[in-house]
Amino acid sequence: MSSATRQYETTFIVNASLDDVQVDGVVSRVQDTITKNGGTISSLNKWGRKRLAYPINKRTNGFYVNIEFEAAGTLLAPLERTFQLDEMILRHLTVMLDKKAIAARAASQAATAASAAAAAATAVPEEKPAVPGREPLFADPVDGKSA
Amino acid sequence: MYTTRRPRRDRDNQTPRKKRTCRFCDAKELYIDYKDEKKLQRFVAEQGKIIPKRITGTCAKHQRQLVRAIKRARHLALLPFVSDAIR
Repeated sequence: MSSATRQYETTFIVNASLDDVQVDGVVSRVQDTITKNGGTISSLNKWGRKRLAYPINKRTNGFYVNIEFEAAGTLLAPLERTFQLDEMILRHLTVMLDKKAIAARAASQAATAASAAAAAATAVPEEKPAVPGREPLFADPVDGKSA
Repeated sequence: MYTTRRPRRDRDNQTPRKKRTCRFCDAKELYIDYKDEKKLQRFVAEQGKIIPKRITGTCAKHQRQLVRAIKRARHLALLPFVSDAIR
């Protein structure tokens, strides 16, 4: 078996008329199929109950779950099967993350981290002085003298 | 020899149109995410149709990515195929 693993992302809609415990049960079943087939889950996001843009199986609300995982391509067939067998899952979409998507993800994570850091910095002002005693190299001379 | 020539009035008299630029190129966006329904909504008409790139100014490369993202979002009922008002 080839050891080439790829990054995937799967989003699925669980029947929102279930209560939270039952939804968790459905989610853990999906998690199990990923981990048992040699995948590693990198993140799990529950978006919660959302209104569907159009009715699916006569339902207008759904509980959205998004899982990112790393696995070999052989995992996808059993995963699709569990999705199709589970009647409480209204829709699912599994997408491979290409280089650009991964880069964008890293960038957005870095941005959120930076903004969090900035927020922390503003909360606790510890201003780093610019390199002390250094004149700007290309300052406008007139400006420099007047200022 | 004198040849009659249709004056290029039509084009010359028009006020120069503002050049539209691709928003994704401007923002240097790496990836158009299907989960970002608010962003995708701007490129969908009220009916739910995908707006052509000749109107939005999106470049060909990003329009392809955008279309894919919109179709994925539609599958997950994040965006409508046909808007409720039309139905």
